[in-house]
Amino acid sequence: MSEAESASTAGDIAKAERAGFDPRILVFTCNWCSYAGADLAGTSRLQYPPNARIVRTMCSGRIDPVFVLEALKDGADGVLVTGCHPGDCHYVKGNFRAEKRFHFLKMALKQLGVEEDRVRLAWVSAGEGEKFSLLVRDITEKVRELGPNPFKSSNVKST
Amino acid sequence: MVVEKSALVIGGGIAGIQASLDLANRGLKTYLVEKSPSIGGRMAQLDKTFPTMDCSICILAPKMIECFRHPKIELLTYSEVKEVHGSAGDFTVKVVKKPRYVQADKCVGCGTCADHCPVELPNEFDSGMGVRKAIYIPFPQAVPRVYTVDKDHCLDCGLCNSVCNAKAVDLEQQPVELELHVGGIVVATGFDMYEPFRITSYGYGKYKNVITAMQLERLLSASGPSGGRIMRPSDGRIPRTIAFLQCVGSRDQRFGYPYCSSICCKYAVKDAVLIKEHRPDSEVYIFYIDLRVFGKGFQEFANRAKKEFGVKFVRSSPGEIREDPETKDLTLWYEDTLTRTVKSLKADLVVLSTALMPRSDSVELAKILGIETDRFGFLVASDPVRHPVDTQVPGIVGCGYCLGPRTGDIPDSVMQAGAAAARLSEILMAGSV
Amino acid sequence: MTELEEPTIGVFVCHCGINIGGIVNVPEVVEYAKTLPNVAWAEGNLYTCSEAGLSSIKDAIKKNGLNRVVVASCTPRTHEPLFRSTCEEAGLNKYLFEMANIREQCSWVHSHEPEKATTKAKDIVRMAVARSRWLEPQDEPEVDVADSAMVIGGGISGLMAAVSLASQGFKVHLVEKEPQLGGITRRLGKIYPTLQDSSDIIDPVIKAATANENIQIYTSATLKDISGYVGNFKVSLKKGTEDTRLDVGTIVLASGALNYEPPKGSFQYGVLDKVVTQLQLEEMLTQGKLAEPERVLMIQCVGSRTGEVWTYELSDMTQSFAARLLSKILGAKKEEGWPYCSKICCMNAIKNAIRIKEQWPKAHVDILFSDLRTYKEYEDFYRRARALEVKFIRYIREIPPEITEAPDKKVKVTVYDTLAGVETEFLCDLVALSTPLCPSKEDVMLARMLKVPLGPDGFFMEAHPKLRPVDCQSDGIFIAGTACGPKDIPESIISAKAAAARASILMANKKLKTEALTADVDTDLCMGCGLCEELCPYGAHKIEGGKSKTVAALCRGCGVCAADCPKRAITMRHYSDRQILAQVEAMMT
Repeated sequence: MSEAESASTAGDIAKAERAGFDPRILVFTCNWCSYAGADLAGTSRLQYPPNARIVRTMCSGRIDPVFVLEALKDGADGVLVTGCHPGDCHYVKGNFRAEKRFHFLKMALKQLGVEEDRVRLAWVSAGEGEKFSLLVRDITEKVRELGPNPFKSSNVKST
Repeated sequence: MVVEKSALVIGGGIAGIQASLDLANRGLKTYLVEKSPSIGGRMAQLDKTFPTMDCSICILAPKMIECFRHPKIELLTYSEVKEVHGSAGDFTVKVVKKPRYVQADKCVGCGTCADHCPVELPNEFDSGMGVRKAIYIPFPQAVPRVYTVDKDHCLDCGLCNSVCNAKAVDLEQQPVELELHVGGIVVATGFDMYEPFRITSYGYGKYKNVITAMQLERLLSASGPSGGRIMRPSDGRIPRTIAFLQCVGSRDQRFGYPYCSSICCKYAVKDAVLIKEHRPDSEVYIFYIDLRVFGKGFQEFANRAKKEFGVKFVRSSPGEIREDPETKDLTLWYEDTLTRTVKSLKADLVVLSTALMPRSDSVELAKILGIETDRFGFLVASDPVRHPVDTQVPGIVGCGYCLGPRTGDIPDSVMQAGAAAARLSEILMAGSV
Repeated sequence: MTELEEPTIGVFVCHCGINIGGIVNVPEVVEYAKTLPNVAWAEGNLYTCSEAGLSSIKDAIKKNGLNRVVVASCTPRTHEPLFRSTCEEAGLNKYLFEMANIREQCSWVHSHEPEKATTKAKDIVRMAVARSRWLEPQDEPEVDVADSAMVIGGGISGLMAAVSLASQGFKVHLVEKEPQLGGITRRLGKIYPTLQDSSDIIDPVIKAATANENIQIYTSATLKDISGYVGNFKVSLKKGTEDTRLDVGTIVLASGALNYEPPKGSFQYGVLDKVVTQLQLEEMLTQGKLAEPERVLMIQCVGSRTGEVWTYELSDMTQSFAARLLSKILGAKKEEGWPYCSKICCMNAIKNAIRIKEQWPKAHVDILFSDLRTYKEYEDFYRRARALEVKFIRYIREIPPEITEAPDKKVKVTVYDTLAGVETEFLCDLVALSTPLCPSKEDVMLARMLKVPLGPDGFFMEAHPKLRPVDCQSDGIFIAGTACGPKDIPESIISAKAAAARASILMANKKLKTEALTADVDTDLCMGCGLCEELCPYGAHKIEGGKSKTVAALCRGCGVCAADCPKRAITMRHYSDRQILAQVEAMMT
């Protein structure tokens, strides 16, 4: 739904552009916890914005920071990486590794000028359907505020 | 001599599930008979398990699905064992599949029927804290995911039938009798929880804000009736001061049972920590006589509860609970036996850590099987030290809490299930390699 | 990687009655799928998981020469195995199948926005199709499992596990480091709560094990090395001057635990000979070495439950008492010992107390306890002791009793009795300290040899404390008895049988299908940095000859190594970078 406002300042113009913008959020889930949590949101019929697209891996420890960077390059407006809670990893400590890598990834992203709220790591257990839906809602809204991803390659259309 | 290389497992809780998997993986065709519409048992009702604080259903569900999909396991849910004849290696068992009034092979578990059903009643799974319809699935992760009609409460309006796209509803369905030939039987029927109505000084059943630990567990559960929000029954307010009373119906020579149920201190500490995690500014008290947090990791867990979470442990058995008729707040009077002071505590919510007791049908089932039960109704082992999972009848073994409080917690049930499977393998697969 | 034949993809979009079809425009998604590159066939089904749906898939594979199948329906967590089997039945490797979740993760969560849900469903299908282009057939490699087991430890648990396995026909090698079998059970005189002789329990099982042809027993033997993996462990052990090599399929670890002895001086242990451990008292009773005592005092929780926290409000107590308590707590030294509760000490103390009382009814027996943990139906045992007039005195854990020498070869014990509210003195003939079962220092070496972890309490760690209490993290190794934590005899026997059950499953099936989703190292790219070896929780990577060598049987497919490899030398089968990135790229276009 597009809302155009009459603009008098540059900020308002930018805001007007953002108002018509529907973010695309890429969500990485792990097979054992967060994917199941996303499923539970479904079986519980919890509603959340349809902006997310989910990619499943076996473990959050599989997520190479390059995937996140590729996603941003390809035009994702936000990336949410999810996995099992610390201590619950099906493969013992894959999620600890994911957390460590993510820490450095965030530092690099900051240097590149990617906003804090665009890329996020969160733990979702298989029983946290509601948490998953709230996470998607939250990141969608925050990214909507931030506006389209300025890093997408020029040959990608914005929505 | 016929040796049927197959087994029957009665009861689909964690013990029965584990026994079935161990037997089936060993090569024995296994029938898993469960009285209720879904396997999962008590563990499915828990929010988290101590002391690791794993989400209970998350670690249980994969095992449930494994059972469902296992080529050597035949799941007979909503079924009961009616007759048993024969001996080890050659038992003949009559099982009745109760009518669900829904065809299991057609139902896809979509839930449209329940959405339209006009009947609402308190559900057993939520210990009365939540509701279900007359056509229902006991919990979202139920296995098999097939709806069941509770004919006792059904109005026969036929709405479910008319909205079902898969044409799965069959209100004329009849019970089906099956005759199974198995080599061995595993009893894994579990327990019930004591309802402390008779301990009138605690006001259970009278005061709305006095609940049992299982009811609290359902409130804490993310997929429970309140979505994981602890709301007290009288007004939905989030309680700030919560008191746990231990040994309600356990170690009791007047009401309930004289034994120690073995897990109530542990689950109280777990629930106390969960409450503190939900609401760090809450005041949580545990009133105990002996704090039985034995076993791997528990003492450390209790220490953390004290130190990190600030749970207050009081060595006392409160005498009486009184309710303020307007606020529905509760007041407990107690003597702290360590500091020797008499005090009162005003609590928003009181949780009774109730005893685990035998199921009401355990004696009847034992008669069908020809095995002994003790004076409470738990199964008696043929030799509690040397043959802890064997019953008096060779070929019939037990595992899980139906064996009584010597079972303890989930790892004990799982180990006993393994031991039960080992025993049947020793009998049925002797010298088979 | 081999050349991929041109992907010919079939897409099946499920209505799932109205669950998907009522919100997502399924025909539109089917039409859209047809436009995607490499899609040779697309159809909609009312219920793809029904007999009709499955037949449809098989027909389409055969008629159109499909070599990839995508089903867009519910979550793979329910029907993926079913659809995979269906593909196999039609001659397609099951790893060439992909699912798109358009129910739990689409129609059910966007039920008020059917247009957006339809767009999302198309995107999800496009992503699944993109991934499927890059899928490759995978094998689930089989390893042989030798039908023999090694049991480490010849105590009650090891013996029970050995007998259980041997009776099923498996060969068992039982390795015991002491000259005789029986372990700690041998040192016990009586077993609670029946008070039967421990020889009733241990002798028959030693006899059964020794007589069994399938069990080979090695006493006074030490393990030198263990290598290999599930189904194929290679063991070398030394007995005297003889070296033996064994090939076994599974290992049962039943190495037991020690009874903790307090350091010298703690509670005057090792200083006053009238202060002994509970186990030493047990042996004295069994061997008849105790003369009729006037008073025996037992102290619970010595060397266990260390690290407990004082939480009482001192303001609740009288001033003088509070001041005395405070000075004691502050003056108390940091306690030596173990943080856990050893579970069995309360019962053992009561057992010995009952033994003393039944032999010498006039003797006084006092038990100083902090929490009396007579769980299960052992409450009755506790009541029996009370009926015999064994006295139970509750002391405060953080303020241990004081022990001093007294004239006439007696020992004086001073303790604050909380229930009576007074400080009490006892003059005793014997003081028994109830100490915990604790791990042995040798466990560290054994853990390293087996490559299994020790838990924070020093005992061997189970794969999962709730649902896998007798499995080790590494496949093929199981734990029985007190090796993973304090247990009483029935519990040890149960765990031993459970471990035997788990081991028997592996050996009975003779072959083990290992994971297909494993790591594949390109040795041309590998530079032998060792990061994968360090990161792998399963020990699946080893640096040999400057390159990473993978034991596929140990790999569980988590992919942590692949994500961190600095040379990008590791490919995860079925979850390769290419396959994942294909989905990411397809998200937008």
